[in-house]
Amino acid sequence: MTPHINSDTDATQDLPGDLAIWIFIFAELVVFGIFFAAYAFARSTHVTLFNASQLTLNRDNGFANTLILVTSSYFVVRANQAIKAGHNKVCGHWLSGALGLGGGFLLLKLAEFHQDFVHGINLSTNLFYMFYLSLTFFHFMHVIMGMVILAVVAYKAYTGHYSAEHHTGVETGGSYWHMVDLVWIILFALVYVIH
Amino acid sequence: MQQVFTKAMARNIFLGGAGFFLIIYLLLAYDSFQQIPIRDHAVNLTPSVLRGKYLFDTNDCIGCHTVNGEGAYYAPELGNVYKRRGPEFIKAWIHAQPSGAPGRRQMPNFHFNADQLNDITAYLQWLSNIDTNKWPPNIEG
Amino acid sequence: MNYQSQRVAKPYFIAALGLFVGQIVFGLIAGLQYLNGTFLFPALPFDVVHMSHTNLLIVWLLMAFMGAAYFIVPEEAQTELYSPKLALITFWVFLAAGAVTILSYLFVPYTQLAAMTGNAVLPTMGRGYLEQPLPIKVGIVLVALSLLFNVTMTLIKGRKTSINIILVGSLWGLALLFLPAFYFPQDTVKASFGWWWVVHGWVEGDWELILGALLGFILIKMTGVDREIIEKWIYIIIAMTLISGLVGIGHHYYYTGAPAYWIWLGSIFSALEPIPFMLLIAFSFKTLLQRRREHPNKAAMLWAMGTPIMAFLGAGLWGFMITLAPVQYYIHGTQFTAAHGHLAFFGAYAMIALAIISYAMPLLRGRTANSMVAQRWEMTGFWFMTLSMIGITLALTGAGIVTLFLQRAAEDPMGFMQVQDKARVFFWIREFFGVSFFTGLLIYLRSFFFAGEYEYANEMKQALSK
Repeated sequence: MTPHINSDTDATQDLPGDLAIWIFIFAELVVFGIFFAAYAFARSTHVTLFNASQLTLNRDNGFANTLILVTSSYFVVRANQAIKAGHNKVCGHWLSGALGLGGGFLLLKLAEFHQDFVHGINLSTNLFYMFYLSLTFFHFMHVIMGMVILAVVAYKAYTGHYSAEHHTGVETGGSYWHMVDLVWIILFALVYVIH
Repeated sequence: MQQVFTKAMARNIFLGGAGFFLIIYLLLAYDSFQQIPIRDHAVNLTPSVLRGKYLFDTNDCIGCHTVNGEGAYYAPELGNVYKRRGPEFIKAWIHAQPSGAPGRRQMPNFHFNADQLNDITAYLQWLSNIDTNKWPPNIEG
Repeated sequence: MNYQSQRVAKPYFIAALGLFVGQIVFGLIAGLQYLNGTFLFPALPFDVVHMSHTNLLIVWLLMAFMGAAYFIVPEEAQTELYSPKLALITFWVFLAAGAVTILSYLFVPYTQLAAMTGNAVLPTMGRGYLEQPLPIKVGIVLVALSLLFNVTMTLIKGRKTSINIILVGSLWGLALLFLPAFYFPQDTVKASFGWWWVVHGWVEGDWELILGALLGFILIKMTGVDREIIEKWIYIIIAMTLISGLVGIGHHYYYTGAPAYWIWLGSIFSALEPIPFMLLIAFSFKTLLQRRREHPNKAAMLWAMGTPIMAFLGAGLWGFMITLAPVQYYIHGTQFTAAHGHLAFFGAYAMIALAIISYAMPLLRGRTANSMVAQRWEMTGFWFMTLSMIGITLALTGAGIVTLFLQRAAEDPMGFMQVQDKARVFFWIREFFGVSFFTGLLIYLRSFFFAGEYEYANEMKQALSK
């Protein structure tokens, strides 16, 4: 009995951390998941309204933003590969590239928000725009958050903070960015495309 | 995965998450404050309504009643009482309190004069026209 | 207890318990008035009893939180309190302000109180929990500033642990979130919107941070588990609190005149609000299982372990029950809300306050733990109060169900007073459990009047002889 207890306490030395971060990532996905489910539910009760309003969205813009985020995710993958080979500077460059693309995403999305604003569209216009605006804005904020994280990681990469053996920060920051990217792909498909 | 989750990361999640959602909330609150005057017809807040509101607050009406579901649950909902009872009933009711019926919940007499009763009724009328997303489910509140 | 200045916590804790007794007495009177509307009328109308009940709750919890801060901050900072004298003066000012407030409710008609205290100049009165006259509200701010100055200066000159930073930070939050109490616009819908900044901001935001810090401190002290692990968990828990709770405030905005989008946004985010409470349970019991020592203060451990469970039931489960918009449509502003309020306030905040008092009071009286006799009385009080509060909650929920079926969701809805008559049996049950809660409180208080401390040798001998 005693050895079992000992091994248990040893294993749980790291377990709280790992458990906690997984709970957090899970929580982020749950928020978006509930949001998407609510969208689907609201849509099922207002199909014509949703279809009509969906057509007013700028789908080219949305598609361009999808490409931008997918490309930036690829950059982040390259940054991870670079740091695994021990190339701090190359890693930093790829991350800067991803940051630049993130900035491009924000600009395009802002232009879209500006168009909505000019047309007098707000959260109270109708149920579809309520979801469209709050979902895309909520994601927009996540992109900013992801960029802040990437910027910190890039700075650390440039200053030689990581090595081929120790680069958890790059992996963690990258995972977050992939999640932001993933959520956008679902969001784009759900809100812009699927009728 | 060999990553170690440090206390610093937990702290950053706390600070980042709190800041993030605070910004979102503040933007939503700003938008709400633009919408509220339209939804509650703030243009109709006449001096009489505002006098009635002051009487309503300084006599602690929500110490027993609710307004749009907020307050105490000892006495009926007042958000829609204007529509439920009408102005004359309301004035007569307030004037006739307390009922003194044994064991029944008692409302004090607030010694309002006729003008004050009109002001309170005007405030209750203003309350009854707020867009509350169709709440309460029926006239009984 | 390692620092002399921690002693200043003692009067805070004693006063907190005294005010707690007052709160329960007014609760019993209010409960009786539900059954007999002419009881004590017109001397004590229901609204006066009601505001005394809720205001005493707030004051005693704040008393306990302040005492906890004066006890914990020096210990964590490993230095004496910046100014014990200021803390003591602040205590008397706060106690006097609390007493004056309640006495003025009881002896001065509310309108007259408003007229006497300059409410016409800056209206703040006539809102739930914030009924205090203007000068009292200003006094609360001054007391808070004095507390903040004292603990912040202590923190600056001492060790900066995460527990201490969270505790002092959340006390700053508590003070800042009180400021909207001075914002009472003439537009009732805006006023209600802003009222929740104080009420929701405190009980579903900032106070959960205080709860986290206090529980973390108790568990570090009593279980000997590594501080790093405990503090990491506390950060994650309070992160989830704010992530869900900030936009989750929307569950107060569905039917009060705020825009319709809150129905969706509030439902989505407040559906997540039970998560931090689940984490709190997971964290507490994990820590308990990994404990490296057996602390002799079993009673404090019972309170500390009871808190997350009851907080989850009251805030998590009963809160979730009424939080989704389609459900709330039928039960908004009914006894369901009162049921949730009672279990959540008791389970989360009264119990964490009693937990820190239970841990700290023996130390303040120069013992590691109370004698086993005293602890048995205290633990009996725990079970009496906790089970009675569950009884009160179920009774109020029953009354809520009556309203739901006869008034809110009925084909042919009955009027308010008619429905209240039908719910009478539940108000009787509530009052019964109220009396039993009060009995539990007296049993609990009795535990303070045993001399002597926990003796290892004696307890060991007894255990072996069995």
